[in-house]
Amino acid sequence: MKTVSTIAQTTFAALLCFTLAGCAAAVPPKTLLDARTAYKKAESGAAGTLKPAELHVAKDSLDKAESSFAKDGADGDTNDLAYVAMRKSELAESLGNAEAAREKKAALEKEAGITTNAMLDSKDGKLKAADAALADEKGKVAAEKGNVAAEKEKTAAEKEKRLAAEKASAEAMDALAKTLAVKEEARGKVITLSGSVLFATGQSTVLPGAMSQLDKVAEALKTQAERHFTVEGHTDSQGTDAVNQELSKKRAEAVRDYLIVHGVAKDAISAVGLGPSRPVADNKTIEGRAMNRRVEIIIGK
Amino acid sequence: MTFSRSIVCLSLLALVACGASFPKPEARVSSSEGAIRGAEEAGAKGEPRAALHLKLAQEGRAKALALIEEGKHKEADLMLQRAEADAELAVALAREDTAKADAEKTLEQVNALKKKASQ
Repeated sequence: MKTVSTIAQTTFAALLCFTLAGCAAAVPPKTLLDARTAYKKAESGAAGTLKPAELHVAKDSLDKAESSFAKDGADGDTNDLAYVAMRKSELAESLGNAEAAREKKAALEKEAGITTNAMLDSKDGKLKAADAALADEKGKVAAEKGNVAAEKEKTAAEKEKRLAAEKASAEAMDALAKTLAVKEEARGKVITLSGSVLFATGQSTVLPGAMSQLDKVAEALKTQAERHFTVEGHTDSQGTDAVNQELSKKRAEAVRDYLIVHGVAKDAISAVGLGPSRPVADNKTIEGRAMNRRVEIIIGK
Repeated sequence: MTFSRSIVCLSLLALVACGASFPKPEARVSSSEGAIRGAEEAGAKGEPRAALHLKLAQEGRAKALALIEEGKHKEADLMLQRAEADAELAVALAREDTAKADAEKTLEQVNALKKKASQ
C-alpha cells in the first residue's frame, strides 16, 4: 500500500511539474503574434494620431492577452484574449482610417469652397460688367427716347403754333373782308383800298380818315407769317402817264411806310407804282375812274 | 502525507478555479446581440471585409450559446467577447468604406470644379 501511494504521488507531482515547466518555456500562439502585429500596424497608422482612445483600448486588450500568456502559456484564455486584442487593434485602425477619410473630404470641400468662390467672383465680375454695359445702353436708349419725345413735343408745339397762326390769319382776313374788298386771285390774296379814301386828289399823303382802315390792314398783315406783301399804286387815265406813274408810286410807298410803322416787317413789304396801266374799270365813266384810282396790297402765296 | 495532501488540495482548488463556478455571462449575451444587430444595420453585409466579420460574430455567438447550454460559462464568455469584437469591427469597416467612398466622390467633384474654373 505504501509503495502504490508513493508511486501515485510521485507521478502526480511529476506531471504537475512537467506542466509548469512547459508553461514557462511556451512559444506565443499565432493569435498572440498576430495581435502584436495588428497593434503595431494600428499604432503606426492614422489611429496613432486620430484615434488615441481606441488605440489605448487595444493596448489594454493586448496587455491582458500578454499577461494571460505569461501566466498560463499558450493554453487557456490566451488564444481568445489574443483574438480579441487583434480585433481591437483592427478596430482602432479602421476607425483611424475612416476619420482620415472624413478629414480629407472636409479639406477637399474647403478647397472646393475656395474654388467655387473664385469662380463666383469671376462670374460676378463678368455679370457686373454686363450689368454696367446694359445700364449704359439703357441710359442711351432713355436719352434717345427723351430726345425723340422732346422732338415730338417741339413738332407738336410748332404745329399748334402754326395752326393757331393760320387760324388767327384766317380770322383776321375774314374780319378785314367785312370792311374792305378782299379777293383771291392767282397772284395771291388782294386787298383793294380806294384811292379816294386814302388820299386827296393828286396827293400822296394818307388822309387821317383812312388811317383806321390801314390799321386794320396792318393787323391783318401781321398775322400773315412768312409772306411777302406788295403794295401797288394805281391811277385812272386822266393826266399824263409820267405824272400818274409818279403819283401811283408815291402813294404805294406812302401806304407801305404806314404799314411798316404799324408793325409790318420792313423786309416783308415792297411798293410799286403802276400808273394807269392796269385799270379794273372803264376810265370813261366817273365810277370807273374812281375804281381805277386805288391801292392794292397783294399777299403773296 | 502532508505534502501529498497539499498537492491534491491545490490541484482540486485549481480545478474549481478553472471554471466550474463561472457565472452565466448573461450581460455579454445581450451586448453581443446588440453589437451584431448594430453591424447589420450599419450595412456590414454590403462590404466584403465587414460581411466576413459579421459572419464570424454570428457564428461565435451561436457557439457561445451552445457552450452556455453545456454549462461551460467561462469558455462561453470568451467566445462572446470574440463575437462582440468581430461585430464592432464589422461596423467600423462598413463605415470606413462609406467614408472613403465619400472622400473619393468629393475629390472627383473638386477636380471637375478645378477643370471648369481653368476653362
